[in-house]
Amino acid sequence: MSESEIEFQHRFLRLFTMHESAIRAFVRRLVPRRADADDVMQEVSVVLWDKFDSFHEGGDFRAWAFGVARFEVLAWMRDKGRDRLVLNEDVVLKIAEESAEVEPRRERQREALEVCMNKVPADQRALIMQAYQSESRIQEVARESGRTVAGFYQWLHRMRKLLLDCIRRALTQEVVS
Amino acid sequence: MSTKLIDAYLDGSLTAPEMQQLNALLLSDAEVRREFAEILNMDSALAAMAAGWTKDGAPAARQTHWRARSPRWIAAAASGALLLSGWWWQNSQHAFATVEKAAGVVEMADGSALRDESHEIKAGSVALVTARGARIVIEAPAEFRFESAQRLHMKRGRLAADVPPAAKGFTVITPTGDAIDLGTRFGVDVPSSGSAEVHVFQGEVIAKASGAKAKQSLRTGDAITFDQGASTSRELRSSAFIQADEMSELTAGLAAGRRAQSDAALEKWKSDSALIALLDFETDDALTGIFRRVQGRWPGSHAPEFVNVGDHLKLDVGGDRDWPQLSLAAWVRLDRLGAPYQSLFHTDGWDSSNPGQVHWMINRDTTMRLALIGNTLSRDANERDGHPDSRTSVLPEQGRWVHLATVYDSRAKTVRFYLNGQFDKQTLLHVAHPARLGPSQIGNWNQQDRKLSGRVDELLLLGRAMTDDEIYALHAAGNPYR
Repeated sequence: MSESEIEFQHRFLRLFTMHESAIRAFVRRLVPRRADADDVMQEVSVVLWDKFDSFHEGGDFRAWAFGVARFEVLAWMRDKGRDRLVLNEDVVLKIAEESAEVEPRRERQREALEVCMNKVPADQRALIMQAYQSESRIQEVARESGRTVAGFYQWLHRMRKLLLDCIRRALTQEVVS
Repeated sequence: MSTKLIDAYLDGSLTAPEMQQLNALLLSDAEVRREFAEILNMDSALAAMAAGWTKDGAPAARQTHWRARSPRWIAAAASGALLLSGWWWQNSQHAFATVEKAAGVVEMADGSALRDESHEIKAGSVALVTARGARIVIEAPAEFRFESAQRLHMKRGRLAADVPPAAKGFTVITPTGDAIDLGTRFGVDVPSSGSAEVHVFQGEVIAKASGAKAKQSLRTGDAITFDQGASTSRELRSSAFIQADEMSELTAGLAAGRRAQSDAALEKWKSDSALIALLDFETDDALTGIFRRVQGRWPGSHAPEFVNVGDHLKLDVGGDRDWPQLSLAAWVRLDRLGAPYQSLFHTDGWDSSNPGQVHWMINRDTTMRLALIGNTLSRDANERDGHPDSRTSVLPEQGRWVHLATVYDSRAKTVRFYLNGQFDKQTLLHVAHPARLGPSQIGNWNQQDRKLSGRVDELLLLGRAMTDDEIYALHAAGNPYR
């Protein structure tokens, strides 16, 4: 591999590493399941790499990646989403558009999660993490927690609400301080 | 209403009419869109957090199911984006890393396979190769655990990594921050107490302090300390880390029984009638100062390490008389710094009213200097700075233990320098006072420009002139390499 090729790869890796979580979250907001987001994300990373030579050095990598990701999400929906309940295209385009504007805030929200999770009692935190580790195992996790599956989902909704409230509060305080 | 729909959407329990309803709400109501985006955004963050979570509080190994589901990905990776294939996920069926060489490490044997379990090494150094081909040397005392071939948790200890393209993205996670490699050579030091440091010897690393918002790109020669959620720049400690190429020589030295030789030789010097001091740093007694106690030349042995401005070691020996002859010797492992001088041994009483006070140091150009106040050079002496300086650079480019010695003789009016047992240079003096010692410092001299950066081991002060043969033998007996 030549020097310039190595430099090219470094440049890509640096940018991709820095923005991966933002791109992943962007995709996640547009598809119904986390596994769908994983699938789309793989396509997105391949396309980003393939097209990286058309990306201008010094340009806005995240904006460029969001553009690629939006396209890949729509392609995924036309392909896999036909027999699934998915957002309609207009909604996807609207959310994608708004995502770019508020991404700095979304990023702070994702980061605030850590602080908020630490306020959740350890045993409940463990349950949330288990539920999120594998979507397919969620019924098992529910059983182990001693709840009914429906009850577990209800509980999970409440926890999500609490966490989201906490995250919003954290960001409000951030603005004040 | 909208919250219920969004929850059902996330659970996958939404009916088709409900989906229509949700789509309509999202399209018409910006507030619903915002709530939706925030919940999904948190969902992504929760998933990321869960991926690194295990019951006992330690992060989990990465899921490997992606690979099986992604033929297109594999094809693309094979066709040129090779760097990416090795990057996020790997086959957890195989060992994450293999022990290539264990030097003085009793807890691990050569060839051991490391998976997702914690390891502690109390002494020595271990060279590992990850499944992706990254070469890693970890120096004791250390506690670490591979989460995957690409993610290494360092609770404490010191690590040097040499990461080939196939292992780009290799990440070291410390209690105070993470270092993500982009195909480089770098070092991470996690001291038993205090903040971790990242040093980039070559290439590029992305550093992120725990809890920090910003990531930082570090390039060749950069170094940072993770400090309470932020990264602070610091000087590169070029020699603080044992690297892969040094390991084979260290293991060979151990195998050849070098340590026993060294210990035996030390006993001989301890009984020398002219002995002023011999510090091997193995006992804690009465060493005052600010320094870290780290591993010395041998597995489990100790040496003081000077890291920050103001670090020093105090000594008060030989102040009861004059010393017409004086020999100074030490094993050192020092960084190449921009600082003008690094203090090896500085008497506190250096003052024109007190001739013969001794300053032994390393100059900016990495030669060695022995200055006694009040002394003047012979007319025949060829010195640039007006002090006796050695000829050859005494600091290697990379971290290495080197042996430095100087012999002063006020009667013969000579200063002689030695590097690794070999005579380097002699300087003739015109005025030569007997040496005077007393309260002194190693690693500093109450002035920032005398800061020494690195480790000192086996410091010998002898009140007579050692011969060339003796210096040669001193180096040979204490040499940790083969």
